[in-house]
Amino acid sequence: MKREPGMAYDTKVLNKIFAVISVCFLFVVIWVVLDDYIRPWKAVQIKALDIEKQKVQEKIKEIDGSIDGEKLKEVKAQIAEAEKGLETKQSEITKINDQITEIQRKIYVQNMVNGVNGSQAAAYQFQYEHALMQNHPEEAKKLKVTFNDFKKKEMEGKDALKGLQAEETEAQNKLKVIMADKTAAEKELKNLVGDKERMLTALAVTEKNPIWAMRNAPFIDYLDPTIKIRQYVISNVTNDMYFQQIPKIDRCTTCHVFIDKPGYEDQANPYKTHPKVDTLAVGVSSAHPVKEFGCTSCHGGVGDRVHDFNSPAHIPQNAEQAKEWKEKYHWHEPHKVPQPMIPLQHTEGMCIKCHTQQERIPMADKLNNGRKLVEDYGCFACHKIEGWQHMKKPGPSLEKIDSKVSKEFIKNWIWSPKTFNPNSKMPSYFNQENNSTPEFKAKNMAEVNAMAEYIYSTSRQYKPFQKYTGGNAGSGKELIETIGCVGCHMVEGIDDKMNAVGERKGTYLTGLGSKVDPDWLVSWLKKPSHYQPDTVMPSFRLTDKEANDIAAYLLSLKNKQFADLRFPEINKDLRDEILVQDYFSAFETVKAAQAKLEKMSDRERTMELGKRSISKYGCYSCHNINGFEGDLPQIGPELTKEGSKPVEQFGFGQQKQVPHTRQGWLTQHLKTPRIWDVGVPKVFRDLNKMPNFYLTDAEVEAMVGVLLGQVADKVPLAGQKRLSPGEKQYYDGMKVANHFNCFGCHNIDGIGGGLSTAFEDQNYGPPYLTKQGLRVQTDWLYDFLQNVHPIRSYVKVRMPTFNYTQDQLNKLIAGFQGGSNQGTFEAQAKVVWEPGEKEAAKRIWEEMSCTTCHSSGFTKDEPLAPDLHYAKKRLRADFMDAWIASPQSFHPYSSMPAFWDDGEGGLMPAVEGILDNDPKRQIQAVRKLIQEFGYDTNPKPFPKNEN
Amino acid sequence: MIKEAINYLSSPLYSFTAFIVLFGLAMKRIDIVGTKKFGLALLIGVLVIFGWMLTDPVFFTVISLPDNIPIIILNGLVFWSTWYALYKGHQNDLRIERGEPPIEGTPENREKVWAWPNLVYTELFCGILCTIFLIVWAIFFKAPLEEPANPTWAPNPAKAPWYFLGLQEMLVYFDPWMAGVVLPGLILVGLIAIPFIDVNPKGNGYYTFKERKFAITGFLFGWLALWIFLIQVGTFLRGPNWTFYGPFEFWDSHKVVAENNINLSEIMWIKLFNTGLPKNIFLREIFGLIATFGYMFGLLPLIYKKWGKHYYERMGAIRYYIMVFLILGMMSLPIKMYLRWFINLKYVLAMPEFELNL
Repeated sequence: MKREPGMAYDTKVLNKIFAVISVCFLFVVIWVVLDDYIRPWKAVQIKALDIEKQKVQEKIKEIDGSIDGEKLKEVKAQIAEAEKGLETKQSEITKINDQITEIQRKIYVQNMVNGVNGSQAAAYQFQYEHALMQNHPEEAKKLKVTFNDFKKKEMEGKDALKGLQAEETEAQNKLKVIMADKTAAEKELKNLVGDKERMLTALAVTEKNPIWAMRNAPFIDYLDPTIKIRQYVISNVTNDMYFQQIPKIDRCTTCHVFIDKPGYEDQANPYKTHPKVDTLAVGVSSAHPVKEFGCTSCHGGVGDRVHDFNSPAHIPQNAEQAKEWKEKYHWHEPHKVPQPMIPLQHTEGMCIKCHTQQERIPMADKLNNGRKLVEDYGCFACHKIEGWQHMKKPGPSLEKIDSKVSKEFIKNWIWSPKTFNPNSKMPSYFNQENNSTPEFKAKNMAEVNAMAEYIYSTSRQYKPFQKYTGGNAGSGKELIETIGCVGCHMVEGIDDKMNAVGERKGTYLTGLGSKVDPDWLVSWLKKPSHYQPDTVMPSFRLTDKEANDIAAYLLSLKNKQFADLRFPEINKDLRDEILVQDYFSAFETVKAAQAKLEKMSDRERTMELGKRSISKYGCYSCHNINGFEGDLPQIGPELTKEGSKPVEQFGFGQQKQVPHTRQGWLTQHLKTPRIWDVGVPKVFRDLNKMPNFYLTDAEVEAMVGVLLGQVADKVPLAGQKRLSPGEKQYYDGMKVANHFNCFGCHNIDGIGGGLSTAFEDQNYGPPYLTKQGLRVQTDWLYDFLQNVHPIRSYVKVRMPTFNYTQDQLNKLIAGFQGGSNQGTFEAQAKVVWEPGEKEAAKRIWEEMSCTTCHSSGFTKDEPLAPDLHYAKKRLRADFMDAWIASPQSFHPYSSMPAFWDDGEGGLMPAVEGILDNDPKRQIQAVRKLIQEFGYDTNPKPFPKNEN
Repeated sequence: MIKEAINYLSSPLYSFTAFIVLFGLAMKRIDIVGTKKFGLALLIGVLVIFGWMLTDPVFFTVISLPDNIPIIILNGLVFWSTWYALYKGHQNDLRIERGEPPIEGTPENREKVWAWPNLVYTELFCGILCTIFLIVWAIFFKAPLEEPANPTWAPNPAKAPWYFLGLQEMLVYFDPWMAGVVLPGLILVGLIAIPFIDVNPKGNGYYTFKERKFAITGFLFGWLALWIFLIQVGTFLRGPNWTFYGPFEFWDSHKVVAENNINLSEIMWIKLFNTGLPKNIFLREIFGLIATFGYMFGLLPLIYKKWGKHYYERMGAIRYYIMVFLILGMMSLPIKMYLRWFINLKYVLAMPEFELNL
């Protein structure tokens, strides 16, 4: 190789290298630009164009089919004819058009002149005022003259403009008159084909023509692209960036292009329309328009990431979907995302985030069901959940247990409740995955013995006020099926249809013959509050015979095998060992603990362990127990923010098969709460204590949804569901309604009503309480709830007498009123007849033959509807009008005919020829009639059970 | 089996010890290390072992984190440049032994060439190639962004940028004040001071090992053992809670290790003398004070007698003492590491009252 002096390399070689790497560099630059330009979501939007095109074409075809060809021809002919007629007037039209053009030119010029004059006047005005301010009177004087001059010119110009405008209008009107026929025909044509034209415009937007390609080409696509990221900025719901709350930016619609457009329901994701677009979310008229709420507010996930399928943290519903996604989209578990998307089946849980003050949320059936389960099983009793503190303890009081069941029973019951009652809500603490070794079992038995001893020796005296005298089990069973016990209880052996109601506010009744004291049962049935004053179990005002019949049936349910179980006596050595090791030596040496134990008598030791064990297992959380009064700590961890708890903080123990996600852990935890201890060496006192409720998969799914919804997100006030004063009253009232399980029997504004649907003819079941505040008078309701009186004498199901406090009553009634935007109390207007109205009312009354069903007090027939004499005192006038107009809007099942309903959502006169055929006046007349003959008293209330 | 053994042996005590032993051997037998054969064998050996390790899913997960890729590149470059310098130095040493000038000193290599195009043009090439490399890298590896910073929930493990992981590893052995401020300060000052302390003209403009044995060994020890090696440990072997994990060990955030460290004062007063700690802090820390001052000043005569005389005479007092001070400071790190591993020593001198923990 020859080298020139002073050169280390051959320049030619260097140039070649330079050429090669420059070309490489060029390619790399092109590569990086393309890498930046080609995005998965662009492909989605391009495909969406095709889909849209196809849809629009389909629609055009549809419209083409619907256009009346004859009419189209006719209209076109009309236009042609009108044009022909105009031919003779062509010279006139031309003249007017020229005139208009000339006027318009003048207007244009005048506008320019006015603008100049106006701005000059304003400028001189400023100079004049400025000169005055600066004390230059001479100059000001001169300026004033100029200003006045321009001002005058401006005013004159404006005036001239008005004149010109008037001239133009006149000319236009002349033209209009001449063209009238043609314009009318053209308008008709537009009506005929306007839809199609609009669709054709829409079709043009979906065309992929050269202009479209240019707008979306690399580099120039920053100008005005059609393929672009689409986003909603939501300031009412924020993303928590920890140091700052920033508005949500949801770009989900970049790929979910038709989510808010009805008509794409048949497409596969991401091109699908939201399934509840018109009611729940996304749609403009829905409860949560996408513009205000975005997507991730409810679904979770990272809304501003559109890089690929994985970036917004999509989460599959189950393993199959995960598999499908892996194949289709290379899906993987999201990394470093604190709040990934909520799996679809749990999405309703997110309602809780903003709807904090409502126990039941409309349209969220799954969530409501989940919350009901959380209530029934009493999760909130051991675990603090913000907003649930008002709930009562879910279990029965054990303060007087001595008189109800035997000690032997209680021991076996605590040991294994499901052996006695597989459907019991009482969970199992023992014989679980982590405490089934012989050592732990023996220790658990000592604890159970001690707890039973404690509960029984502290139990207060209770003497049932009534003796069980035996009864007819058959009629007892019938009563259970008819009077409404199944509104709260499931009962063994009764009609399956009744058990299908599935209400579990009360316990599942089985094996009572092997459980309770017969006298206690009769007394309890007659007056539950006698035994437990704060019970929600109401009195059904049973007669002695009824109570004994029901008791006879319940006592006939026996579980002999369980009754014959004998629980082993307490193992005193183990008792002492637990006391010393687990309790006394917590802060003292074993020796000192032993000494402490020595000082205690045998009885004291058992009682001590009993009390300690009750604290340990948290029995007092669900049951009232003597010695455990006041504000005691909740033994479970707080669940208020469970949905935001970092996955790393869940202890998965040795359970590798459980998916490492929040919902994975929670699901497993609810199914087998003790499984986390398996394979983990633990001493007796450290064992996980969460009991096993033996929940079904469906129950677990619903409850996991509730827990996932308990997120820590800080939603700004503007984004939260803020209740109006009326709504606040309503939801407070509904808390009381829920406390007494009104929802078990009644459907209240669309929620609940299991019992009422169990009736074949729902007119014989508990009524729907739709807009109850609108329906009844406040003082009537207040009286009725305390002194239940007959309304429909022909129904067998009973409105029970609850043991309300005054506060609960007030809240309940105010709630109904608030929910219907009614004031609490109101005077009922006196009936004032218009001339001829009363006669008309009587005629309607006759023609509609109201007394066929409302026979009470009119004929001797068996009534099929309430006694209308009592309507005056019970019902509100507004409601009566609304009810008569459309009973089915309140009770969809009602057999009351809608005489005034025209079948199309409007009203029509029921009787022709009276009261100007005005249906409203006719309805009012009937209502006035009912009010006029109504009594001023309520029916005599049912006698209450006193003791 | 092998993997478990590797996991076990890569714990800092064994791996660090092995590393400095190998380093010492390498410095001793430069005649082997500084050959092409050795370099090639080493390269093949490392690649084979690394390739085998990559087949392990856990190891692969850690290695392939976007954060860790620069460290892999760094390893390759450090390997290459260290070996290449040693190789060149060895070649020259042989030449010098034979009485020839170093390669850089041959007449044809002393010839001067134009900066343009020889230097500037090739620099431009390098600039373009680097840009190409960075762009391709950026295309293949997305920026490893994490979740928004949450002040109440730090990521676990919370790791510094890769080039600071050696410092972070030092935090295991030293008080933050020492590991975070004093020692890094000493490193910076020491690096700046080198040209002023080192007035030996040998090795200027040519590679050599033999003529600068002490300087090269000393520098490479600090650089490879105390900086690069610690970065490796901090990057690949420290998982959640900064707990040690072997290269094939899954980073289970619940791993628990028993590490109960005690101070020198506690060892002396409580373990040895079986009494309580004295109230007076200076009395309490008397052993620590003795040890510290003994190390910093008491060793001086010994060092002087054993190695220092020659250097003292050549460098003069000021340069000599600064150098000894820097070397003592540097050596305090491995000493402290071994003390921690062998006797669970927390601090030699524990005076939290003055924020002074050594």
